[in-house]
Order: sequence, then C-alpha cells, then structure tokens
Amino acid sequence: MTALNLFAIIMLAALIHASFQLGISLLTLLSGHSLGAKSRHRKLLSLTGSFTLGAATMTALLLCSFAYAAVVFYGTTVPALVWAVTSGLLAGIGVAVWVFYYRRGAGTALWMPRPITAMLYTRVKSTGFAAESFSLGLTSVVAEIIFVAGPLIAASLSLAELPRSLQALGVVSYVLVATLPLVVITMLIGGGHKISRIQKWRENNKRFLQVAGGTALLVLGYYVYANIVVAQLALRGVAS
Amino acid sequence: MTDILKRDGKRATEPYNRAKLEHSLQAALHSVKAPAGQAEDTARAVCDRVEQWLLGRHEVTAHDLRRKAAEALEPLHPDAAFIYKNYKTIM
Repeated sequence: MTALNLFAIIMLAALIHASFQLGISLLTLLSGHSLGAKSRHRKLLSLTGSFTLGAATMTALLLCSFAYAAVVFYGTTVPALVWAVTSGLLAGIGVAVWVFYYRRGAGTALWMPRPITAMLYTRVKSTGFAAESFSLGLTSVVAEIIFVAGPLIAASLSLAELPRSLQALGVVSYVLVATLPLVVITMLIGGGHKISRIQKWRENNKRFLQVAGGTALLVLGYYVYANIVVAQLALRGVAS
Repeated sequence: MTDILKRDGKRATEPYNRAKLEHSLQAALHSVKAPAGQAEDTARAVCDRVEQWLLGRHEVTAHDLRRKAAEALEPLHPDAAFIYKNYKTIM
C-alpha cells in the first residue's frame, strides 16, 4: 500500500465521521440554551469553542488508541483478514445508516437509546462552564461510537501502516476534517447566525446527509476490500 | 385552575404556571436573538392567548400546551416558534 492510498482512506473516513450529526445537534442545543439564558457573547463562544475542542480531543484519543492497538497487535502490516473484517463492518454500518440513522418523523432526532438522549439533554441544560462544555464534547463522540467506530477503525489501521514520519500528519488531518462541521457551526453562531436557520437547513438536508453518509461508508468498505484485501491475496498467490 | 399532565410520568400533574410558560417562551425568543423588549412583549401576548384557550379546561397535556403556545407564537415570531416547536426533536 502506498502512503497516498492510505491517506485517501484516512481522508474518506474522516469525511464520513464529519457527516455524523450528534455533535452538531448537541452544539445547536447548547447554543440555544446559552442564548436563551441571555449569556454574554463571550460566554457563548467559550462554551461552543470548548465543546468543539472536547470533541476534537476525544476523536484524537480514540484514533490514537485504536492505531496503537493495531500496531501492538499487527505491527506495521495489518493482515488481510483484519482488513476484510473492517470492510464488512463498514458495509454493515453503511446499511445501518441508510436504514435507521434518523428517527421517523419531523426533526433531526437520531437513532440512539432514549436514556442516553435524556441524559445528554439534561447535561446540555446544566452546562454553564467551559470545562463542562469540554466534557460534553468528549461525551458526544463516545455516545455516537456505534456509527463512528467504522471510519475510526479504518483510519487507525491505515495509520498503523503509514510510515512513522507521516503518522502524526494522518492523525491531525483526520481530526481536522472530522471536526470541521463543528468548527463551521461554532463560527456561524459566533458570527451571529440564528440557530433556527441552521436547524432548518439540517432538517431540510437530513435525508441527503443520511444517504451520503451511508453510501460513503459502503464506498470506503468496497475500496478497502478491493484495494487492500484483494491486492494482498493476489500478491500472496503470485508469491506461492 | 388548570392542571397540566406531564409527559415523563415522574409527576402526574402540576398546576398551570404562567411564569414558567413565559420563561420558556422568552428563552426561545432570546435563542433566535429577539431583542429583550420584544421577547417580553411577545411572550406575554402568547401567554394571554394560551390562557384564553385554557379557560374552561380542567386538565390539558404538556404537549398540547406547548403546541398551542407554538401556534400562538408562529405569527408573531416564526423563527422562535420553529425552535420552540422542534426543541425536543433536535437530537
């Protein structure tokens, strides 16, 4: 595998991660609560910035942990079987996103256990400090782990195979791309955009985001299978 | 006095509280950056309309109360009404 191929996997995985919406829902709610409580603009920016930083930190931690585990278990050459399982996982999550990412009905309610949603609502309501907001950002990534696990695993296996000099660049690129929507929303809210407009846009485009996210997962799964699994098996066949 | 049936089931009912409704409406109005004076006037006007609807009703659900308040808010401030109505379906 060339570094370019591995980077392509990391970037596509990061784009898929970016398409998931829990962090954006939480950020929208957090901003709404902060504005509703007549907080100062500086406090609003502090809360939204801390939330985004928290989400970025947890994304980096999870990615590095998975990549470290991959290096410990497989070294710098990940077996074809592991890539094949990852490919199947990506396809499975892709179909799951197509079928039940959003709950039926109006709004952008996500398919998540209701007790977790209730807990997050309560936490958003009671968040008043940057440290709490940072923790909420950390939690938002973990709460969506069912969906982000696929892209995270694909990216971490690619990181394990990357030359050491490029691994840090891979992690930074993934985290930047995956948290880009949160950065954009933070900037929009900071720039004075109404959250009602942001939420209306999300509602109007939710089916597109759902289909795009699911399809991208299937494409990534296929790319991994065709470009890595089949290539490794073919090379093994030539060698024997 | 009208009783409000809660949805979550933790408390069966609670008496209608104008201050609570006004506060939630003002929060929705502030969240879409309505000026403070406008938010107060609009919330008061919506509460008046909701109270007219409550006349003669002994019990209403919290969901119906929210729906009626959103309906009354819609012509006065559509953006705030959108957030007020869809608050529970953002996540």
